[in-house]
Amino acid sequence: MNDPYRILNISKNADVEEIKKAYRILVKKYHPDRYQNSSLAKEATEKMKEINQAYDMVMREKQGQGSDASYDNGAYDKHEGSAPRDTYNKTEPSVYVNVRQDIKNQNFDKAESVLNKIPPTERSGEWYYLMSIISYNKGQLEESNNYIETAHSIDPSNTEYYQMYRSIKEQRTGTSYHSGGATGCGGKIFRNICDCFY
Amino acid sequence: MFGYLRIDKDELKVKDYRFYKSVYCGLCRSMGKNYGTAARLMLSYDCTVLAVLLMSVTSEKCAVVRKRCPVNPLKKCEFCDCMSDAIKFAGAVSVILGYNRLQDTIIDSKMLKKIPPMILKILLKRNYRKAAAAYPEIAHMTEQLIKMQTEAESKKAGIDASAEPTAKFMSKLCSMFCPQNYNSHAAETFGYYIGRWIYLIDAADDLEEDIKKGTFNPFKEKYNGDTAETMKYCNEVLNMTAAHITMSYDLLDTGLYKSILDNIVYDGIAKQQQYCLFDKYNEKNKKIRSR
Repeated sequence: MNDPYRILNISKNADVEEIKKAYRILVKKYHPDRYQNSSLAKEATEKMKEINQAYDMVMREKQGQGSDASYDNGAYDKHEGSAPRDTYNKTEPSVYVNVRQDIKNQNFDKAESVLNKIPPTERSGEWYYLMSIISYNKGQLEESNNYIETAHSIDPSNTEYYQMYRSIKEQRTGTSYHSGGATGCGGKIFRNICDCFY
Repeated sequence: MFGYLRIDKDELKVKDYRFYKSVYCGLCRSMGKNYGTAARLMLSYDCTVLAVLLMSVTSEKCAVVRKRCPVNPLKKCEFCDCMSDAIKFAGAVSVILGYNRLQDTIIDSKMLKKIPPMILKILLKRNYRKAAAAYPEIAHMTEQLIKMQTEAESKKAGIDASAEPTAKFMSKLCSMFCPQNYNSHAAETFGYYIGRWIYLIDAADDLEEDIKKGTFNPFKEKYNGDTAETMKYCNEVLNMTAAHITMSYDLLDTGLYKSILDNIVYDGIAKQQQYCLFDKYNEKNKKIRSR
């Protein structure tokens, strides 16, 4: 395994507080919510695992040295990469179940062609939601944005659509833009790019 | 590539800035050496960033030497070793792309203005062939890029479709250099969104001019006569693209020159957006008012 200190981006003699802080920054960076619906989710989960292992290792080392670290007392819970949610409606037509499976297997072209066969009059909120995910992964971000807007307006109470809708809107205002960044609000530079910055 | 991908100098450490500059100068030198003096005019910030990225990905260390600058002989500059693979590659990409862009400039400009790019094109022709022979894959990709771009523009494609050719080109370019067992999916995705961002910021930057001239621009449809409003919309589009740049960038193992690339991705991109979409217009207004 690689050097855990390098993975956490800390020096060998960092104290417990520094380790926790570095860990928290990384958790935010690779959080499954940030990569939700993205084909990069798998890579992000791997990275998260690596970070968790490194964190455990470093903390164990610190405890072995007799420091007062008590990191596993529940004060700070570790983040595991959560499995993709499979919370779709059981009564939905089976075609969407198959499309979801294709999306999960990253068969975006196939999923898209199946969806395109559905006539415009029969297109539900879910159709637009799934189309949004497909465009999102093919890099067609404007189309993805249009689709999710339609899905959300058809069924505003659907939490699944809303989550995607909100995450796209955050990306567009620039609030999620810097989530991996090292520096905070750049003052003048960001004046117009974001309305609020944490 | 049009020089939109830049560092944010204010946020960069001095040693990183020195290295970045030595890559810029090294690239210029390498292009001069390999493809003749005229090729130096094809130097761009984007290709400097490409060189730094490639060096980072392949963890290629680069020697820095102090020599006189051939363009300004009074100045002594630091140069990155111009025999480095990454720099040679970035140099060839600059020449091939630059040469093909000249053709566009000739078509777009009127009468006498056609002459300077025409002369440059003649001067570059032999060296373009040399670069294309050394990197046939890139020459082929560039041909494809131009073909797809012309097609998209003649169809009056939307925002996504018109950005796609550049995005795909950059995606291939970024994954070509990846060593084995490198996270190539993230590298491809990163290249894709970088290309998309470059194309779209160029489009947003040229919007006013394209409206005046009546040439194609994907943002034209959204334009309602109010530039400030339209720029807000362009900013949303670019923000979303930038969010995907950082998402894929965070999964890349950037190693050696991480601090420079971090600066470009987290600060440089935002700064360019701020300048091209908002500050540029404020400066213009100030000038008009002060007259």
